[in-house]
Amino acid sequence: MNRRTALKQFFILAGGLMIASSCTGGVGEASIELRHIVLSAADEALIGDLVEAIIPGTDSPGAKELNLHLFVMKMLDDCHSSEDQEAFIKGLKKVAKAELKTESARLAYLQTLREDVFFDILKKRTVQGYLNSEYIMKNKLIYELVPGHYDGAVKVNT
Amino acid sequence: MINLNIDSAKDRTYDAIVIGSGISGGWSAKELCERGLKTLVLERGRDVKHIKDYPTTNMYPWEFEHRNELPYQIKKDNPIVSKCYAFHEDAAHFFVKDQEHPYIQEKPFDWIRGYQVGGKSLLWARQTQRWSDFDFEGPARDGFAVDWPIRYADLKPWYDQVERFAGIAGDRDGLPELPDGEFLPGYPLNVVEKYFKKSIEGKYPERKVISARCAHISKPQPIHIQQGRTQCQNRVLCQRGCPFGGYFSSNSSTLPWAAKTGHLTLRPDSVVHSILYDEHKKRAIGVKVIDRNTKEEIDFFARVIFVNAAAINTNLLLLNSISNRFPNGIGNDSETLGKYVAFHNYSARVYAEYEELLDYKTTGRNPAGGGYMPRFRNLYKQETDYLRGYAAGFGAWRSAVGDQSGLGKGLKESLLNPQLGNWGVGSHMMGETIPKATNFVTLDTQRKDDWGVPLLKISIDYDENDDKMKKDYLDTMEEMFKIAGFSNIRRDEAWQAPGLDIHEMGGVRMGADPKTSMLNKWNQMHAVSNVFVTDGACMTSTATQNPSLTYMAFSARSVDYAVREMKKGNL
Repeated sequence: MNRRTALKQFFILAGGLMIASSCTGGVGEASIELRHIVLSAADEALIGDLVEAIIPGTDSPGAKELNLHLFVMKMLDDCHSSEDQEAFIKGLKKVAKAELKTESARLAYLQTLREDVFFDILKKRTVQGYLNSEYIMKNKLIYELVPGHYDGAVKVNT
Repeated sequence: MINLNIDSAKDRTYDAIVIGSGISGGWSAKELCERGLKTLVLERGRDVKHIKDYPTTNMYPWEFEHRNELPYQIKKDNPIVSKCYAFHEDAAHFFVKDQEHPYIQEKPFDWIRGYQVGGKSLLWARQTQRWSDFDFEGPARDGFAVDWPIRYADLKPWYDQVERFAGIAGDRDGLPELPDGEFLPGYPLNVVEKYFKKSIEGKYPERKVISARCAHISKPQPIHIQQGRTQCQNRVLCQRGCPFGGYFSSNSSTLPWAAKTGHLTLRPDSVVHSILYDEHKKRAIGVKVIDRNTKEEIDFFARVIFVNAAAINTNLLLLNSISNRFPNGIGNDSETLGKYVAFHNYSARVYAEYEELLDYKTTGRNPAGGGYMPRFRNLYKQETDYLRGYAAGFGAWRSAVGDQSGLGKGLKESLLNPQLGNWGVGSHMMGETIPKATNFVTLDTQRKDDWGVPLLKISIDYDENDDKMKKDYLDTMEEMFKIAGFSNIRRDEAWQAPGLDIHEMGGVRMGADPKTSMLNKWNQMHAVSNVFVTDGACMTSTATQNPSLTYMAFSARSVDYAVREMKKGNL
């Protein structure tokens, strides 16, 4: 990476994680830097719609607002085998062909997918990114970095 | 190229050299420095300063690039270390990667290593149970290996001393098979662990479930504050290095303490190639070091040498220290060097659920990890068709989990409202293995590493005794789980290679007879009186206890002896 591209590059927060933006920043490309797979801006937008269908915005942010589509892309890029990556992209192309216009249509479509590698990766990574996001861990299900205690017999409030 | 002759040998001469800065090397260094010896600690890896070099220590889960998961390529490139339970994004920088330091597996062996200042003391599981005479008398009673040249009474004062300094949390349980020590308050068992204890001890009074003893400062004493350490904050993120110094490591404790004396020289990036033996003086005179980065060869000299390179690397180093007098490795008159290597059998676990006591949960995190069952098999007499026995970990946990089966608003709702389920319970075995001549390490005659050191060949395997013991553990634990009324009992007997227990021991064993052992009762080489080995390589047998505490006690005891001998002019 030369200085020019370094200057162009910035970081995007995805669920609280900083992800490097795409170096080239070309039109039609995904907004984050991907090392092993190629995804377009249109793919990114579609994944955004799909993660939002899985965890929609309600009175609290949904997956898209938390940039979990970028998290899914990042994990797919770095933490999956090439077979997984190919299966995911194939599955994504099928969704694109279906031309789903509404969130309920996308949800209905996802519900038809069973034992599908594309769906498994998409859902697993969305849920993981959500539960481990800064928003959730600070506001909803509080993560204690420094508990400072252990109590092995706490009465459950009933 | 620097001409090293310009440096006078005097500048490279110390009173003592310690090879390795891990859990035992740190203790050797501390004890030597406290006694006023100018001490050089050689560490093959990079420097790791307490706190400053713990880059992930204060990171939240969402701050890890891959949420603490390691990328696919790293796992693919590192099949061995990837099996280790602690090899994740938060601590991967403290582990040796497979390709960096290859070795030859004549039989499958997962060799897990940490090459940096502090070694694996940064990463260890921090369990610290003392040995007893049931362990030291094992080889003599059951007729394997050789008799230990010491008994518990020899080591007790040194256990006392290292426990007070390191900070060991534990209860005084009054068990002869697991002697009490100088404990800080123990971490209490949780409600289900206590229930299991009561249930088992009611049926089998000789089987005990106690709070696991661990190297965590549950209540700091002045000696800990003086080290700059404070109370464990129950983070249980220890493998990252602890900013509180809440658990014991060389980095947080012994090395800075040694440095404060002004007598310590710590030289990281120093791969010790061999120990130099002088045929005329009939003693070791120093070590040959290859600088890790520049590959420069530098000799260092000292009156005594403590070998603390970690069990298997200590074997490698001694095997590679060749002279006319010792063509098969320094001190190896007995031809036992590299042989009788043993380990702990960790290859079985039992899991279950408990559907009672559901009006309780836990909060915070327990650094002790839960309960510990000392060995009860074959304790007072031989009673099974295999020798020795096993200790077992026992833990119970209860967490709230959101149902992940749905999609859309329903999924979100359930994720945000996790429900407490049944208790999960689990146990793992820690089996004693019998040291044998057929479990050994040797040097490859062809291939060398980047520093000119021969690659190590490892030939270690389970035997029939291990298989029988494993089956007994599984049957016995399953039966105890049934007695306790646990449900959904699952036996996990998936085979794992030796080594993954990270309790490799032996190869440079202690013994009274120079014909059958390498070291005497002071961890001193029979044949080379100024070389001491106080890491896991010295172990004559393995017992069932997590071994690090015993290495620490050996190191302190051995240094005390060596310095007394030096003062008498005997060394």
